Amino acid sequence: MSALGRQVFDWHRLSPLTWALLTRPTRQLGEQKRTTAFLLRKLMTVSSGGGLEESSFVDPPKCARKAEHRTGLTQCLLEKQRTPVSQENVVSSLLDMGFSDVHVNELLSIQPGTHPQQMLDIISELVLLGLNPEPVYVALKKSPQLLKLPVMQMKKRSSYLRKLGLGEGKLKRALYCCPDLFTMRQRDVDVIVRVLKEKCLFTVKQVTEILHRCPHVLREDPGELEYKFQYAYFRMGIKHVDIVKTDFLQYSMTKTKQRHVFLERLGRYQTPDKKGQTQVPNPLLKDILRVSEAEFLARTAVSSAEEFEVFKKLLAREEEESEGCMADEEEEEEEGREEEQEL
Amino acid sequence: MTYSVQFGDLWPSIRVSLLSEQKYGALVNNFASGDHVSAELEQLKARDFVNEAIFHREPEPENSQTAAPSPASWACSPNLRCFTFTRGDVSRFPPARRGSLGLMDYYLMDAASLLPVLALGLQPGDTVLDLCAAPGGKTLALLQTGCCRNLAANDLSTSRTSRLQRVLHNYVPQDVRDKNRVRVTSWDGRKWGELEGDTYDRVLVDVPCTTDRHSLHEEENNIFQRSRKKERQMLPMLQVQLLAAGLLATKPGGHVVYSTCSLSHLQNEYVVQGAIELLDNQYSIKVQVEDLTHFRKLFMNTFYFFPSCQVGELVIPNLMANFGPMYFCKMCRMT
Repeated sequence: MSALGRQVFDWHRLSPLTWALLTRPTRQLGEQKRTTAFLLRKLMTVSSGGGLEESSFVDPPKCARKAEHRTGLTQCLLEKQRTPVSQENVVSSLLDMGFSDVHVNELLSIQPGTHPQQMLDIISELVLLGLNPEPVYVALKKSPQLLKLPVMQMKKRSSYLRKLGLGEGKLKRALYCCPDLFTMRQRDVDVIVRVLKEKCLFTVKQVTEILHRCPHVLREDPGELEYKFQYAYFRMGIKHVDIVKTDFLQYSMTKTKQRHVFLERLGRYQTPDKKGQTQVPNPLLKDILRVSEAEFLARTAVSSAEEFEVFKKLLAREEEESEGCMADEEEEEEEGREEEQEL
Repeated sequence: MTYSVQFGDLWPSIRVSLLSEQKYGALVNNFASGDHVSAELEQLKARDFVNEAIFHREPEPENSQTAAPSPASWACSPNLRCFTFTRGDVSRFPPARRGSLGLMDYYLMDAASLLPVLALGLQPGDTVLDLCAAPGGKTLALLQTGCCRNLAANDLSTSRTSRLQRVLHNYVPQDVRDKNRVRVTSWDGRKWGELEGDTYDRVLVDVPCTTDRHSLHEEENNIFQRSRKKERQMLPMLQVQLLAAGLLATKPGGHVVYSTCSLSHLQNEYVVQGAIELLDNQYSIKVQVEDLTHFRKLFMNTFYFFPSCQVGELVIPNLMANFGPMYFCKMCRMT
């Protein structure tokens, strides 16, 4: 049967199903709750009867979109005819998981060459991590390459993410902000986690919190992430707890520096001394970073937009020049200027 | 510093400006060849703020003299051309270059430094004294006016005087230096009353001060640090003595401009008032402060001025126009 399948469907690059695959369990042990829900839903779906209709496969507009798409759907149809149970199985499983008809169709067409079982496995992993159908759909739409991921890797990454505390529905945001959360190299994820734990000395709980609330950190350069932390801790005098609470790590270094240095030079922000005290109370971090620029200027800085614009330009230049120049060169330059200028 | 008390709501914007890169003006060297310098500077989108102030001022509505420039305008020292970038433009001038006559084409300085020289109102044939001349920008400006019959440039510090000499050498041709009888000395400015009393038509007293802009930056040897407290407290006294000497060296009917680059009342208004009192009490010489309101209005498009000076004018730094601080007060020696 396999040989026949390969002969006929070779040009579609689809590997034929075997009956063995059909019987492979799609859920891990211990997910009894899920299974129950599954079964319940299956019952409900059956009674409504909607998802099992053939018409959803030959929906003309979707078919018409791409030749590839058509190929996929045709393939599905043929496949369905050949091994009707496996395709239906996938579809019904998806519907049972709570995906809408529309989503199911779209999912099937994302990577037409994907083995349906493969797709189901990947999707199942995501669902098991606590993601709802809508976010799963969005994630796969955004990063179709996820479907190509070897299921083993998927499982490995899932368990790692669970260990980091990103299961139980905390994954949604992370996946949305960082679509390559599953496809990125393990060592790249490791590096970030290590920076947070070993260099920045966040607790495990804090690391989880950070990854949950500021998933962008996973995409940052480790060195820059560390620098961002150091800026908060040493330069601004913000403690670990507050760094986490205020989502400090999600803001760009540029924006943070612009607003902080502006406040500092205005005399409205002071780095706390060794005892953690300042002469005047510093503004709340949320009033510095979270608010819009207009509000920041009006309430926190109490300064004008035009002054801030000029300041940003000057600061950018200062940064550029401090990076470019060696210390000696800078000194020379200053002396030279003094020669010429009236003070 | 207690400037927050003195300046209130204005202080934060002054502070941020003091801590950020200052803005420069390019004083055109009239002795170097060619008008191409002005054209080049205009190409860079800079404009001559002096020219704009004096000739493009809209006439006051109440004043019907629209044809001739108002009296105050020709009280400005003539022939000074200084380019600046417009408000909010943070471009920098390229370094000055040597022209065909071997002299530098412009001198980069804090544009606000030109105001005391403009306010002094030199006229052709004046004998001029620059009592604390180094490093030489204002001295150079005095020479640019072409009005100096004699120019005496003095600074107590010999190292600073040699800088002044270098500036003159790089900007002013030998024959002009001779013609103007430029004399550079390193004497104690406080002695000028005795040395050359009643001698000069115009005197500039640009005193040593706390140079606030630099003090805020430098940690080391900062005049505001505790170890230099005495020095700081003695400063106003030194400044009064210098201004008094400058006034004594002025001819009766002559004019003096006192200037500093400090924001402090104690170094500015108090010194002016102190010197005037001193001259009255010890020498029975009457000195009158001249109102510079009209002068200030000429330059309001380029500089930010502090609105509440008791006497004199104070340019305050602002990010939009990061010049100054520059305090200046004009006086006339009446007797």
